[in-house]
This record gives sequence, structure tokens and C-alpha cells, in this order.
Amino acid sequence: MRAKKRRKIDKMIQSLIYLISFIGVIIFVSIIGYIVTTGGKLLSFELLTGNYQAKVTDIFVESNGDNYTYPSSENEYYSPRWDIAVKDSINKEGNPIVEISYIGDNSPMKKAKNLNDCLIGDKSFCSEYSSVNIVVGNSIKTVIMDDYNQIAYGKYKAEAMVKVLEKGSTINSMSIQKEGGGIRGSIITTIYLIVLTLILAVPVGVFTALHLKEYSKNKKSTYLIRSMIDLLTGVPSIIYGMIGVVVVIPMLNIIFKTNGSSILAGAFTMAIILLPTIIKNTEEALKVIPQEIRAASLALGASKTQTTFKVVLPSAIPGILTGVLLGIGRIIGESAALVLVMGAAIKDQVSIKEGSTTLAVHIWQAVGGEQPNYELAAAISIVILIVVFILNRIAKIIAKKMNKSWY
Amino acid sequence: MSIISKYVTKKNIKKKNRIDKIVKNSLFIISIIAASFIVVIILFNLQQGVKPLISDNGGLGRVSLLEILVRFEWLDGKVNATVGYGIGYLIINTLISVFLAISIALPIGVITGLFIAKIAPKAIAEIFRTIVELLASIPSIIYGVFGLGVITKITIFVASIFGQQTSAGISMMTTILVLALMILPIITVMSENAIRSVSSTLEEGSLALGSSAMQTYFKVIIPAAKSGIFAGVILGVGRALGEATAVSLVSGNAFSGPTLNPFGTTATLTSRMLTGFRETTGVDQDFRFTVGLVLMVIIIITNFILKKIMKKVGNINEG
Repeated sequence: MRAKKRRKIDKMIQSLIYLISFIGVIIFVSIIGYIVTTGGKLLSFELLTGNYQAKVTDIFVESNGDNYTYPSSENEYYSPRWDIAVKDSINKEGNPIVEISYIGDNSPMKKAKNLNDCLIGDKSFCSEYSSVNIVVGNSIKTVIMDDYNQIAYGKYKAEAMVKVLEKGSTINSMSIQKEGGGIRGSIITTIYLIVLTLILAVPVGVFTALHLKEYSKNKKSTYLIRSMIDLLTGVPSIIYGMIGVVVVIPMLNIIFKTNGSSILAGAFTMAIILLPTIIKNTEEALKVIPQEIRAASLALGASKTQTTFKVVLPSAIPGILTGVLLGIGRIIGESAALVLVMGAAIKDQVSIKEGSTTLAVHIWQAVGGEQPNYELAAAISIVILIVVFILNRIAKIIAKKMNKSWY
Repeated sequence: MSIISKYVTKKNIKKKNRIDKIVKNSLFIISIIAASFIVVIILFNLQQGVKPLISDNGGLGRVSLLEILVRFEWLDGKVNATVGYGIGYLIINTLISVFLAISIALPIGVITGLFIAKIAPKAIAEIFRTIVELLASIPSIIYGVFGLGVITKITIFVASIFGQQTSAGISMMTTILVLALMILPIITVMSENAIRSVSSTLEEGSLALGSSAMQTYFKVIIPAAKSGIFAGVILGVGRALGEATAVSLVSGNAFSGPTLNPFGTTATLTSRMLTGFRETTGVDQDFRFTVGLVLMVIIIITNFILKKIMKKVGNINEG
């Protein structure tokens, strides 16, 4: 009787454990689900390779007098005189735009002339024009027809704009915008930062691990060095960022003539953050290398240096690689320190001596303002998550292989 | 013989020894450099953080340490430069948020760890373990986005049940939940490892004495894994105390407090340090280092207390 009751209680507790354990899965699924459903639509090749800053070109077009036809679909507004169709749309920043959805092959727009070449942006002050390539996807910001009375702005919506376009035979000035909002600059910045950080952190980390595991015989100094490096793990990343601002940036201003925040400063700061990870992983790898291998190398007449660098170190490469992969994950995900050291200004032209944003800081910039852009933040999150998950899996596989390799 | 003697000359050996020595010394120097970074960090943080407390800040007057610790509002701006700071409410907010986040994450994490290590069938355990590891690798800024996009809505819903208003869901409850999400995978991974490494003789002994599987899990195995679980708590508390960007997104950066209403906006030490750091200079910036020092002291104290508790509760395996 009691055994039965106890079994019942056991079953109940077990099902409760099942339920509670599913919370983790639910969280995972809802994070991934939210990120993918919100950002999936925006994620495109164009987003990854596009510029952040929108590019505006003013053009000037003359009609050739013909009238064209085009079977425009719903929501599209067609202008027979100019052979273009436009529609209302929303750009990556979430603002309404009038987007060009079709341009005929013989459209007069194909012969558009660039007004920005002219002295003050007026065709009467201009002798030579370069041509402008208008493509589907560009948006029209303003239109000024030949008599200057007919003006349309993007905010008037597509229908009104087509009406204005039909009213004259010359477009005096039209602002064509190539939409921005792309994250190419942030991707390049992230790659630069990863490369620079690793260049700084890996040698220092690996050599320190070599000293601690292969060379140092003094137990006290080894303990001291190791615990000082361990302390680095406990420092919050925002403190690294603040120290970066008062130590690293002024230092680089003098050495590299940078001016304030820079990717270089970010790399120095991140290198210090990564040091403990790289040292730990290298040490772990050195620890599992059997002592016989070192002895064999020394017995064959190799010096200590040769043994260390030609026998021991190559065997530790999987461990170093694990540390590097974890480090890359950390660099990609870091935001607090980098907001402070590299600034939060999104750039298209990336230079290591200037500040820029990594993908994580781009997210922070997208949702941190007055009007959070969740679509963009989620789209960048997808990119980050894919990379981080892949790195994490590879590191796991390497670690598994490494543990087996000596047995 | 002649070939060997050609290479093993006295000169060669000497050269090799010299290279060995150079390499050894340079490695030592590099490791000293690596170890010195923590000293640089502490020294500069002290230098910048103590400055507002001891100098007269260019005529603005000294910031009194005692006063800022008991003041419950933070007045920004030049006018209030040295008399308006207060971080008492930030300390209380931070401690409450982290404590509640741990209280949510700890039971869930330990039970999930137990499930993965002992209860789940092998295939399911592998899937769960992978999911938990992936959760642990998600950068905190993405937790922040998730918090803003999803958890704020949950908060608004809960608040509406209680008939309360929130400012678009940005509140202390959201902050706590985001922190709990971040800590959960850490505690789960550490608990799972600790529970898995409990000696099976303990489990068998308990079962042989007639206790049920669940009694064994909760009364023998989890207590035996205590120290490992506690190590997870220490890591989790560290991450929660130091988290800045995600918290600053969902906390609302309140200028006064302490926040006791879960649906009201809040601010933590880190979120206050992060906001406006780059835009400001002089004493206003230096003071953020003072906040940083306070944060470091809090981290050290909590670590110390947790380690003391860990030692006290001990580990049955070793006892």
C-alpha cells in the first residue's frame, strides 16, 4: 500500500521534472522563433552587402514624346510618359518610401543625366553630364517638373507622384535614392576586429601558457601569474571598456596617431578580454600531451626550444584552436566594451584607425534609440547566431577529438 | 661517427643552450606582461574612480563617498555635477535584480541538469545538452533584443492582470527575467556536470537502502553535487552583475529608486555606467569609474560570501 503511494509520488515528481526541464527548450525555441520570424524577411544578400548610408543622386530627364504601356499590377502606379512604375513601400529603417518597381527598356529614364555633376545642381549651369543608372528598387524622394510648379515628394505616396510625373515633358530635377540600411560595414568591422584581436592575443596567450606549463619551475611565481590571469575573467566587460577609453585610446593616439575611438583600440581591449580563454585552453591542451613525447624528443638530441616549438606546440594546436574559436564567439557577441572603445557610429568606409560598429553594436544601435528597429536587430541576430552556433559546434568536436587522440 | 661529431660540436651545443635561455626568458617576460594587465586595470580604475572623492573636481567640490552611498537619486548634468550623484538605489536595485534572477534560474537549472544527467533517455539528453550549450553561447545583446521584443509583452500582460501600468513593458520584471534567461544555461551546464560526476556508489547505496529514485536524486545526489552547483551560481552571479547592454535596453535607466514595484523602471550599476559614458567628460565620466569600483567591490564581496557558503555546505563526496 505504502509502496504504491510512493510510486505514485515518484511518478508525479518525475513528470514535474520533465515539465520543468522543457522550460529550457521552450526558451530556446521562442528565442530562435522570434528572431527568425522578425528578421527573416529582412535578411537578404542585399542587406549583407549593402551600404548603411543611403545614396542620393539628383537627375534630369527629357521625355521623347512617346507613350508606353505596361500591365501594372495591384498597388503599382504606372506613368506611360516615362515608362516607369512605382509603388509605396517601407525601407530597412522602417520609413515609407516610393519605390521604383519597373523601368521599361526604352524608358526615357534610361537616359537620365546626373545633375550632381553640375555646379549648383541646376541644368542651366551645366555643360556636361554623366549618365545615371536607375534600377528597380531605388526610391524617388522628390520630383520637380519643368515649370517648377509641379513638385512631388516621397511622402505624397506613389499615386500622387505619378500624377505629377504625367504633367510635364521634362523632369527638371528628381532625387533618386539608393536605399541604405545594409550591414556590410559592420560585417567588415567585425572581421577586422577578429583578425586584429587574434594577432594580438594568440601569441601572448600561447607563449604565456608555454611558460606556465613547459618552462616555469618556480611554483610560487606560476601560481601568482595564473591567479592574476584568472582574475581577468571576473572583471565585467564594461570595466574593460572604460579602461580602454582612459588607457588604450590615449596610448594609441600617441603611437598610431589615431583620433579617439578606433577598431585598433577595440582589438587591444578585446585581446585582454580573450587572454584568459586562450591561456586556459592552451594549458589544457599542453596538459594532455604525454610526457614521453617530450622525453623522446629530448633524447633524440633536440634542444628544449626545438622540443617545445616543433614537438609540443604542434600537438597542442587543437587546444589553441578551441580557445581561438571560443574567442571569436566572444568578440562577435561583445557589446558593452566595444560601445565604449569603438563608438557607436555605423560606417560604410571602414578603417582600423577609426571607430566603427561590429554586428553586436549595430544591434544595440538599432534597438537602443527612440524608435527601435526590431526587424534589423533580429536580422543581424540571425547572422550572429548562425556564426556563433557553428563556432560552438566546431569547438565541441575538436575538444572531443582532442580528448581521444592520445589514447 | 664523423657525421655526428660534425653536428655535436661544443660550439653548437653552446649556441643551442643560449637560444634555450633566450626563449625561456622571453616567454617569462611575456607571461609577466599578461599577468600585469589586471594590475593596470585595477590601478587605472582606482585612479579615475577615487579622483572625484578626493579632489575638489576643478572647483565643483568634493564628492562625498558616504553621501552617494545613501542617496537614492542620480541627478545628471553639470549643475549637479558633484552634489547630485547617488548610487544607493543602484546598489539595491542591482542586488535585488540579481538575487531574484538567480532565485528563478537556480531551481530550473538544477532540475534541468538532473534531468539531462540522470533521468532523460540518452538521445533526449544529448538534444537537451546541445540546446543548453547553444543557449549559453548566445550573446547577451540578443537576449536584450529578445527581452525588448518578447518579454516586455509578457510583462505588460502580467501587469494588466494586476491592473498596473508599465512604460511599454520596460521594467524591473523584464530586467530580472532577461538576467534569469542569461544565467539559466550556465547553472544548467554546471549542475549537469556536477551531478554526473557524483559517484555512482552513493546512488546505488541509497537505492539499496530502499529509498525511491526521486528520494535518491533530491536527498542524496543533488546534496552531493552542491559544490559544483554553487560554482555555477558564482559564475551566474558574476555574469548578471557585470551585464550592461542587455540590461540597459530593458531596465529603463531610472534616475531614482530603489525600485520595489516590479512593473516600474529600474537601473543597475552597469546600466548607469554605460549610458552617457562617451558623451560626458571630466568629473561626470570619472564618477562612472567610482561606480565601477563599487561594482567591483560588490562582486568581490558576493564572491567571498558565496565561496564561504560553498565551503560551509561542503561536499559529501569529500567528507
